[in-house]
Amino acid sequence: MSDSTDPNDTGGIDTAGGGPPRDPTLRRPDGGTTALEDDRDAELDRGPFQRWVANSISHPERVYRAMFYVAAIFFLVTTLFPFYWLLMVALTPEGQLQDIVVTPNGFNPGAFIEVFEVIPFHVYMFNSFVIALASTVVVLVIASLAGYAFGRLEFPGRTPLMLLVLIISFFPPAAFFIPLNDLFNTSFVFLEPITGDGTLYNTPFALVTPLSAIFMPLAIFILTTFYGQIPDGLEDAARVEGTTRLGALFRVIIPLSAPGVATAGVLTFIAVYNEFFFSFLMTDGQPDNWAPILDGILAYQGQYEVLYNLMAAASILGVIPVAILVVIAQEKIVSGLTAGALKE
Amino acid sequence: MARVRLENVTKRYGDETAVDDISLEVQDGEFVTFVGPSGCGKSTTMETVAGLTQPTAGRVSIGDDDVTDLAPKDRGVAMVFQNIALFPHMDVYENISFGLRLRKYDDEEVRRRVEEAADIVQLEGMLDRMPAEMSGGQQQRVGIARAIVRNPDVFLMDEPLANLDAKLRVHMRTELQRLHRELDATVIYVTHDQAEAMTMSNRIAVLNDGRLQQIGPPLTCYNEPTNLFVAGFIGSPSMNFVEGTLVEGGLETNNFTVALDPSQLPDVGVGDAVTLGIRPEDVHLSSYAESLASPTDRIDARTDVLEPMGDEVFVYLLLSEAATGSMEQDPAASPNQLLMSVTPDTDIEADQDVDVVLDRSKIHLFETATGDALVHGITDLPEREPGTTPTEADS
Repeated sequence: MSDSTDPNDTGGIDTAGGGPPRDPTLRRPDGGTTALEDDRDAELDRGPFQRWVANSISHPERVYRAMFYVAAIFFLVTTLFPFYWLLMVALTPEGQLQDIVVTPNGFNPGAFIEVFEVIPFHVYMFNSFVIALASTVVVLVIASLAGYAFGRLEFPGRTPLMLLVLIISFFPPAAFFIPLNDLFNTSFVFLEPITGDGTLYNTPFALVTPLSAIFMPLAIFILTTFYGQIPDGLEDAARVEGTTRLGALFRVIIPLSAPGVATAGVLTFIAVYNEFFFSFLMTDGQPDNWAPILDGILAYQGQYEVLYNLMAAASILGVIPVAILVVIAQEKIVSGLTAGALKE
Repeated sequence: MARVRLENVTKRYGDETAVDDISLEVQDGEFVTFVGPSGCGKSTTMETVAGLTQPTAGRVSIGDDDVTDLAPKDRGVAMVFQNIALFPHMDVYENISFGLRLRKYDDEEVRRRVEEAADIVQLEGMLDRMPAEMSGGQQQRVGIARAIVRNPDVFLMDEPLANLDAKLRVHMRTELQRLHRELDATVIYVTHDQAEAMTMSNRIAVLNDGRLQQIGPPLTCYNEPTNLFVAGFIGSPSMNFVEGTLVEGGLETNNFTVALDPSQLPDVGVGDAVTLGIRPEDVHLSSYAESLASPTDRIDARTDVLEPMGDEVFVYLLLSEAATGSMEQDPAASPNQLLMSVTPDTDIEADQDVDVVLDRSKIHLFETATGDALVHGITDLPEREPGTTPTEADS
């Protein structure tokens, strides 16, 4: 047997000499002398576990692959199973909601229609969608301007200002709630033509304003990084060619930072869409008063009964827009979150 | 087309002065090159013309208009960048037409002018390519087309050829000259490459440490540099400098003395330190002395290293044995060395004792303390009493 054809060849490290062990400490627990002196013989002496260990050492990639599958399956189960279970609950007819584990107790796809019949759930969805979209637009516009300033301009106090943004982003949203709620319930004459009674409570502004502010710092950080990487020459070229600084931002810098803008936009959209605290408290929960999905789902909870199957069905329906968004944008999000680098 | 005038332009970044009180005027249709080493302020000066940098003090005018406070887009300038700066998300057509589209020209006019510009820079048939699919030379041509398509008053070119390979650079150099002739445009060109500056420009402006050292036609800067910096920067290989002291009847250096009358020199007198400058092509073997109108005395030297360049040979001369250890410095600047250029058919070897002479009509004298030029050519500054032969003279 030639060492060079041996799949377990260690490259001649332990087989050098081939004679008696050079050093007693090289003696292996399985009784071999230099463990891989003659692998065929050594394997015969070993139990299955030792064989597996030896195999793993010589082919680590197999172990890594196995670990990958274990981890991936673990995460898939923990994230997808609740969703699956939600579907089972939604499909189970009202009144049989016990002992649901992997199959529904009965089959009632009508729940997905019933959802809209019991309450105007589509209005809640529309409200949420509008609020999330408006917040995203506000965040992207303002964070773009901030990102441009932080990423591309030198000015005194830039770092302290950036730190301030960072610090504010760490404040718990609850800290803002009471003053904001008070403010939004105060009547302002100049708002009367817009909101009727002059307060922002029960209008989309009551959600868009605080939520934009809360999710702004993340977007500013993402966009600062991206805009800072666009070569100065491109902006100079755009300005000489006929744009203002702002024009260069929108015509050159933002298009070239598309992955970053997409990332910031999608993250903001999802965060606002999923937000609980302000969404729950800044409206009175009526669909006509811009109550978001959250209030819709909770509306199936009556005084005498809780329609769990409809809550489950509504939850699934509520996830769909976000799921679609993520599928569409995921490529850009991934490249935006990980890379952030632009060639040139 | 228009002239460009800078008046006392200064740019400071904190305590750093990038551009220090520069005043100059570029005539209508002129090709002026700003040349100088890295960090000399030439790019910053150009940026003040483009409007990308606001000068700390001073005025910039283009044509008859003071543009100091105008935005870049309103100045009627076009710029070609060192890093080319094509918009990577637009194809060639969109890149070239960017400025026209911003100015709301109608589509037909835009197409006509883009095609015309593409024609001039020989980019026909490539209008739908993306910049990433093109070679460096093609990309820079798109950059130039983007500049000429708007028919600007002034072209600003910031080292446009620096990122191209050597062969392409020479080619583009002639293209730019042709373009300048065809468009009859006012061009300000920035480069650190003095060969580009010498070959392309009507006038060159030599900058160092943010200050304008000299502005003039290339050959004037070459033949009559105003100070040591210009003398050393223009010309390749650079001028030999030998420090010396004025004595009665001549300039005395470590290894040789040049006869002249110090009283004829402006601003300096006997005892002052003066630097002698001589270009390598004006150092000759003494056998060649007869054909010179006004050679200096023989100078003993020893050849050190020969650099055959094909059309000429550079010979490093050691004027004294002590100089052998100074190879790490620029040889031309070393006090005991001279660089000589001779024709390839000259019979000369390394480590050979030779006698050399300098061409007196090509000797430049600079005041060592200030670096300012005193005189170019000392033929008219002979010994105190013409007719008599001083001791150093070679009969």
